[in-house]
Amino acid sequence: MMNEKQLSPELFELATERQGDMEKINRPSLTFLQDAWIRLRKNKGAVFGLVMIIIIALMAIFAPMMSEHTYKDQKIQHAKLPPRIPVLEHIDWLPFNGKDMNGIDVYEKRGVKEYYWFGTDDLGRDLWTRTWYGARISLYIGVLAAAIDLLIGIIYGGVSGFYGGRVDNVMQRIIEVLVGIPNLIVVILFILVFEPGIISITMAMVITGWVTMARIVRGQILKLKNMEYVLAARTLGASDARIIGKHLLPNVIGPIIITTMFTIPSAIFTEAFLSFIGLGIRPPEASLGSLVNDGYKSIQTYPHLMMIPAFVISLLILSFNLLADGLRDALDPKMRK
Amino acid sequence: MARYTLQRFIYMLITLFIIATATFFLMKLLPGSPLQNQEKLTPEQQKIILDKYGLNDPIPVQYVRYLGNLAKGDLGVSFQYDNRPVSTLIADRIGPSAQLGFQALVFGTIVGILLGVIAAVRHNTAIDYGATVLAVLGISIPSFVFGGLLQYYIGVKLKLLPVAFWEGFEYTIMPTLALSVFVIASIARFMRTEMLEVLGSDYILTARAKGISGFGVIFKHGLRNAMIPIITILGPMAVNLMTGTLVIEQIFAVPGLGEQFVRSINLNDYPVIMGTTIFYSALFIFVIFIVDLLYGLIDPRIRLAGGKK
Repeated sequence: MMNEKQLSPELFELATERQGDMEKINRPSLTFLQDAWIRLRKNKGAVFGLVMIIIIALMAIFAPMMSEHTYKDQKIQHAKLPPRIPVLEHIDWLPFNGKDMNGIDVYEKRGVKEYYWFGTDDLGRDLWTRTWYGARISLYIGVLAAAIDLLIGIIYGGVSGFYGGRVDNVMQRIIEVLVGIPNLIVVILFILVFEPGIISITMAMVITGWVTMARIVRGQILKLKNMEYVLAARTLGASDARIIGKHLLPNVIGPIIITTMFTIPSAIFTEAFLSFIGLGIRPPEASLGSLVNDGYKSIQTYPHLMMIPAFVISLLILSFNLLADGLRDALDPKMRK
Repeated sequence: MARYTLQRFIYMLITLFIIATATFFLMKLLPGSPLQNQEKLTPEQQKIILDKYGLNDPIPVQYVRYLGNLAKGDLGVSFQYDNRPVSTLIADRIGPSAQLGFQALVFGTIVGILLGVIAAVRHNTAIDYGATVLAVLGISIPSFVFGGLLQYYIGVKLKLLPVAFWEGFEYTIMPTLALSVFVIASIARFMRTEMLEVLGSDYILTARAKGISGFGVIFKHGLRNAMIPIITILGPMAVNLMTGTLVIEQIFAVPGLGEQFVRSINLNDYPVIMGTTIFYSALFIFVIFIVDLLYGLIDPRIRLAGGKK
């Protein structure tokens, strides 16, 4: 029972403006990486990892400059001092008061005026500088592993997947043989032939480090290259390089980032492991692995010599693992737990 | 399947051949001489010793002889241990390493599966978060650090277990624990993800609807299916146990293969290094081969796809 008076002409106006409002996109459109970043920020573990990596990186760069001692200065009369840090030394329950396991203030007893923040090793070298110097090497190895993954792995996998056919066949046979060789064996053989040190580790990693990445990129490219949009680009006359660079790689960026992030901690671990068994960095240079190994010798009397570098290396690997886990969840919704 | 097996087998042989060749030629490039107190020996004496080991022959001759011996399982004799055959040295030392590896694998797998299943069943509770944190820590803390912590706190401070050496079962406990941390952590992570997926599937719901007890559903229906993909991480696990024994044996002074390997490297004992390298590689390649075959057998999708992963 509609009253005719209620029907006014306004009711029959065209609703153009309102319709326009409804279609309007209010939320800013996010790129893939912005979206991933938002999801990553919500992951507490990943944020913790990221912050820790930044702190360790800053310490690795600046901390050796903060101390007046260099990583190889030996001062035998200052050997095996416990840690002592200004200000913190007055807090009794912290292990930074310069007292050894029996509660004797070694600094006072030996009349040492200087502060050794993390103490000294059995040759009187400053552990603070050596620890952060070792962290530099770990980070260098991490960056190197990532670079190898990105450069060789992506190009090898990309070429193999994109061109297919005989090229792919040959390249895959090579990979299959390489995969069968345990990485550790290659690294040890390299270190035996060339002398132990950062260069041998680097070269061994160049040979073995990129295989996983190449396999993953190849798999993704194989899947993507038959998609319609690639066909469309080809029809429009795009070159192979353009199709790979502009159409395929941006779509593989997720798996690439994830693989790189998982490569880094395992590379850092490998270097620490090699230095630990005496095949990596040689004294007077310091790596976290060799510092832990040195610390073992006096674990009963001076546990800080082992604990401090062990803590830093564990924290570093943990942070990279947490960040990698977080990135995997953020970048690849399918793999989310 | 037969064709696939054969193909994999041939790859296995090619890889081994390449490793053997590379090892041989790299050893020839090595700096340092196997002769001890070289300065004291006259050139004639040096020549006699080198002739005895066939080190004066042209390298191709040495190479062919080396491959021939290798095929017979002869890995040469050690410089370090009074000419004892390398194969005997490996056989003598493999016992403790194998025992450690086996114990760590069994213990780690059981604990890892339990941890993963509990985390998945109690999804998004404190137990789940706790297990996840433990697993990440277990993957991140290097075994040599964990071994050191165990040694310091349990061995030195609490004096519960012997700190080192190899004289009985209680001596194996700490090295096994240190070695199994990675196994526990990676299996727990893997199990949790798989189990969550399986528990969310329809047949679990059906089983529950039919009135099967929670325990029965989880262990009979869930666990069995969730365990299939675990085979894929056996390969990386084998590598990890292998590298793990290198350091763990050093830390706990276990007379195993890894400890001998590290020592030989530091002493330039080429035949032992070469022999152990080839032995380790063969072991690793064999494990990968078995894993590939097992996976093909268990998961029909791989067989149908022409034997490709």
